[in-house]
Amino acid sequence: MDGDTSSMIMQLIWLIFFFLIITGLNQKIQTKIWIMDIRTKLNVIMSLVEEDRRRVANMLRNLGVAAPDVLINRVVDFFTIEPVEIEPTDIIKRLDHLVRTTDESVKRMVEATVPHVGRYEKTLIESSLSIVGALNTIYKIVRHYLLTGERENNWILIMQLQFQMPMIMKIVNTYHEALDAFSTGKPIGDAAGPLTVHRLIENGQVVSRKVVDETSIIELYYKDRRVFVIKAEGPGSNVGHPGAVLNKLVEDLKGNVDLIITIDAALKLEGEETGSLAEGVGAAIGDPGPEKIAIERAASKYHIPLRALVVKMDLREAITVMRKEIFEACYKAFKYVDKIIEEETKPKATVIVAGIGNTMGVPG
Amino acid sequence: MPDGIDVYSLFLIIAVILLIAYLLIDTFTKKPKKKEYVTRELLKCAKCGFSVEKEFEPGDFIGLVKDKCPKCGGELRVEGIYSVEKEKILKPGNP
Repeated sequence: MDGDTSSMIMQLIWLIFFFLIITGLNQKIQTKIWIMDIRTKLNVIMSLVEEDRRRVANMLRNLGVAAPDVLINRVVDFFTIEPVEIEPTDIIKRLDHLVRTTDESVKRMVEATVPHVGRYEKTLIESSLSIVGALNTIYKIVRHYLLTGERENNWILIMQLQFQMPMIMKIVNTYHEALDAFSTGKPIGDAAGPLTVHRLIENGQVVSRKVVDETSIIELYYKDRRVFVIKAEGPGSNVGHPGAVLNKLVEDLKGNVDLIITIDAALKLEGEETGSLAEGVGAAIGDPGPEKIAIERAASKYHIPLRALVVKMDLREAITVMRKEIFEACYKAFKYVDKIIEEETKPKATVIVAGIGNTMGVPG
Repeated sequence: MPDGIDVYSLFLIIAVILLIAYLLIDTFTKKPKKKEYVTRELLKCAKCGFSVEKEFEPGDFIGLVKDKCPKCGGELRVEGIYSVEKEKILKPGNP
């Protein structure tokens, strides 16, 4: 090959590049590659949704349901419309009403399908169905943006979707893994709060127990203090209504409470260690709002110190089977609670300790 | 340099080949294997402190009395249920 030929080839290559850039064809090629990649990942999500659907259907068949798809289809597409936000008056009340109505509606659907099984199994079915519902929603949203981007030739939309796909796939895999815990009743990372207060119940002298609004209130004596432990009623998959119950308890005690401690799992920042503890002030609870505000209102109304303790973990660790590091961190969290009670209150004081989170696998 | 190809073209070709090789290696390099976890339960005797780690059985929950203590005959309760890496499973006995 002489100098002229190689120079011509090089010029031709540059011309092709120039032509692609001027006409925008390079972008089209890039978009096609992105679309192919998103479609492959979408198929993976679809296969996971189908697999989880089959698992829940088998779970229901084992409990004697002849046509499980009727219930699955109904719950998977169930939605809740958010309350009007531009009029903030009584928004918490309206939100609380909608959240409770959603929970009760799903419970009734499950109750109607499997009236003969116990409450424990029913809670596992409800949670498993909500996981399939979450996965199905993600699948439908990704498919919607992909098809819209393709139809409208909107490469910006496709690009945004392509760059978000790794994060979306991570969430999808996390939910898919979580189904194992929810279908078999294993404690999840989010149970760190209930498990910590369970240790407190084990170490205290229990006086009384009662269940209000799917939430347990256990009165006990610990180190000469009157302690009320609040946690979701276990060992089923349940988060209860700790905020509303705490608020009512404070009112029943006429505000004669010296300290409120909330313990919850918290999402860690990248680089933070799983199972590390952090203390602070405020209501450690991750609900949409009604439960958290109920705790804050009760504490502020009677000027009760409100302390928070969190066990750090990532989303995967929070909703999949509890890691050993988190299990061990619950012992440390119990010691921490003990320390806070001794430092902040005197003997004969009244303390409320709320273990926030899903109590699956943790009794009481 | 022989009259077939100039320095500039040679440099460009080598750069393109290196770039393609790098991208191919980066794409097909195997990512670190995902850790495999198994669910275990820790059984503990409240009387003598004996503890043993076993495989989780569906339906078990923390606080459940599972067995009798082989040392003192006391109640062997489920102290905890957690997931561990498959390679880090404890052997039976006193940990």
